[in-house]
Amino acid sequence: MSFLSKLLFKNKTQEIAAAGSDSILIKGEELKRSVNEVFGRSLFVRLVDSGSCNACENELAALSNPYYDLERFGIKFVASPKHADVLIITGCVTRNMLNPMLKTYENIPSPKFVITAGDCPETGGPFKDSYSVCGPVSKYLNIAVHIKGCPPEPETIISGFLKFMDILKASYRNTENTSIKMPNKIINVP
Amino acid sequence: MDKIILNKHNIKSSDFINSADNIKASGKYLLGIAAADERALNSKFTLRYFFGGGGGIDEYRVDADESFQSISKICPAAKMYEREIYDLFGLLPSGHPDLRPLMLYPENWDSSVHPLRKDYNNLIPDMKKYGEYKFKEILGEGIFEVLVGPVHAGIIEPGHFRFSLAGEPVLQLEIRHFWKHRGIEKVCEGRDFKDALNLAAKISGDNNVNIGIGYLEAAESILNIEITERAKYIRVILAELERIWNYVRDVAWIFMDIGFALPAQNLFALQEELMRLNKNLSGHRFLFNSLTIGGVNLDLDSAKLKAIEEAVEKVENIIKDCEEFILNSSTVLDRLEFTGKINHKTAEELSLCGISARASGLPRDSRIEFPYLIYDKLNLKPVLHDGGDVFARTVLKIKEIYVSKKIIEGLLFNLPEGDIAVAYGNKPEAYKYAIGNSETSRGNAFFYIMADDNGKIFRLKYIDPSFRIWPSIQYGVLGNIIADFPLINKSLNLSYSGNDM
Repeated sequence: MSFLSKLLFKNKTQEIAAAGSDSILIKGEELKRSVNEVFGRSLFVRLVDSGSCNACENELAALSNPYYDLERFGIKFVASPKHADVLIITGCVTRNMLNPMLKTYENIPSPKFVITAGDCPETGGPFKDSYSVCGPVSKYLNIAVHIKGCPPEPETIISGFLKFMDILKASYRNTENTSIKMPNKIINVP
Repeated sequence: MDKIILNKHNIKSSDFINSADNIKASGKYLLGIAAADERALNSKFTLRYFFGGGGGIDEYRVDADESFQSISKICPAAKMYEREIYDLFGLLPSGHPDLRPLMLYPENWDSSVHPLRKDYNNLIPDMKKYGEYKFKEILGEGIFEVLVGPVHAGIIEPGHFRFSLAGEPVLQLEIRHFWKHRGIEKVCEGRDFKDALNLAAKISGDNNVNIGIGYLEAAESILNIEITERAKYIRVILAELERIWNYVRDVAWIFMDIGFALPAQNLFALQEELMRLNKNLSGHRFLFNSLTIGGVNLDLDSAKLKAIEEAVEKVENIIKDCEEFILNSSTVLDRLEFTGKINHKTAEELSLCGISARASGLPRDSRIEFPYLIYDKLNLKPVLHDGGDVFARTVLKIKEIYVSKKIIEGLLFNLPEGDIAVAYGNKPEAYKYAIGNSETSRGNAFFYIMADDNGKIFRLKYIDPSFRIWPSIQYGVLGNIIADFPLINKSLNLSYSGNDM
């Protein structure tokens, strides 16, 4: 099976990522340290698309390709909200998706956090005036971090996770007890 | 300007069901139905049925008051369009077998409000339950249902799938879509043509160049703009690059879903390289904003041309290895062959397009049937397969990558000199309309656009290939096991956002 054996010995994540961009490795290692510290080695993420153009999902899926390989930094996209710590929301929140979005949120065990990816969940994007759009997300949920971009590039999303971990760590240090509190104001990340 | 020939016919609604039979018998197939509220013009609603095939497009115009004759019994492909018209305009398709709401959910929308009517007062119904959506039921001993979605396990878009099974084989699949209905057609109304181009690009982000080209075919025809040869060449190169990265991703997902993570990740890495090439060319990983009315926003210098040449060369080498592996590996063939078979007859009745049609033996490719830009000079032949199964679709995607590579190589070093965009200040003639076509990686993207008396958009109707193809999965899965559904779904890789609009 020469095809498979040929593949086995090339395109190793470490080499690819380093050749692509050093900054991903640097950010990733920092992310890994934070995730280790706060979440005990694993941050589980559930995605809900509330009405995007599918570009954001493509970029989130790209985080799993060998160039980024987000899982090596301790962040994993999970199938069920019941396993998740964080809900990532993309899209402008259509009337039809509002209920499924909120139900997914309800099913995440506390403590839980919301991150939005892309411009649509933050502002409604180009669809904000439509009869069938009832966003933005902040009308319904407290948001820890907005990751801007149309769509945000994979590296921007990694930076977004870093911002999120910084916010968490800051609130973690500020409280007397060690339990993590949900940030109760919306924080915009430029 | 050598635009597509559009043969126009006026016809009475009650007669149309007979004509539809004849039209179908002549080998033409339904491209779409565009309804519009033209009561301000001729005190009627207007329905335009577009049929394609045989070297041109036929438009049949039917005027309607509050109802029209359904043609679903003759032409099953019309079913979804008629339900859509019933939702958005409130025109009753009489004789339609299934009048359940489509995109305006009774769970949150008052069914007496029709947002695409021109006298819709922009009042949005309160967010509360107005009714119930009834799913089809299969009854019998030992029959059970499996419900999937709208929120799926992976990083994908929302859609609801309801399987009825007895034992392992699927007896029925019912799809409920339109979770992502954003009302784009309505948002476009009253906007100028430039704004609407930005909205068209966000119908389905991964195919924004090809859909944008379809939009521009219609818009530039209304605005009487003739773009330069150079702009045409660049548009085609970008369109084919988009097709290549889409198909590379699609083939990667096929490997992923049959448990071959190694080749899959290799192809995902290749996709990433292509997205980076896009960024290098246009400043955007999806080539957003590279098209503009009157031309393109980016020029290709020799360094960029070289980068494209190297990239497509690399793609071909890797894909060739993958193709050889697929054809020679019994474990791969075992999963792909005879899975998710869509028969020739089903494909014909549902008016499929794109890869899904070509994999079932129908020679449908808009680049060849309704050529636009410079596709008529490229001597393309439709790449066909008659299997109709996952294998056929995968092999065709691979073959299409070779075709796109050949197209790109032919154009790269023959780029004509000239400007990349022409200035325009033309105000369109009042209530002039045009259609536009393009072939996306999923199939034919169809636009019908009418201008108002102010130079803005009066009505924009877009028909996504996914809108046509989604119903066919309901036939493709019959008799298969649920475990093969993700594979069947990925082999078509349809867009939810384009379908839901």
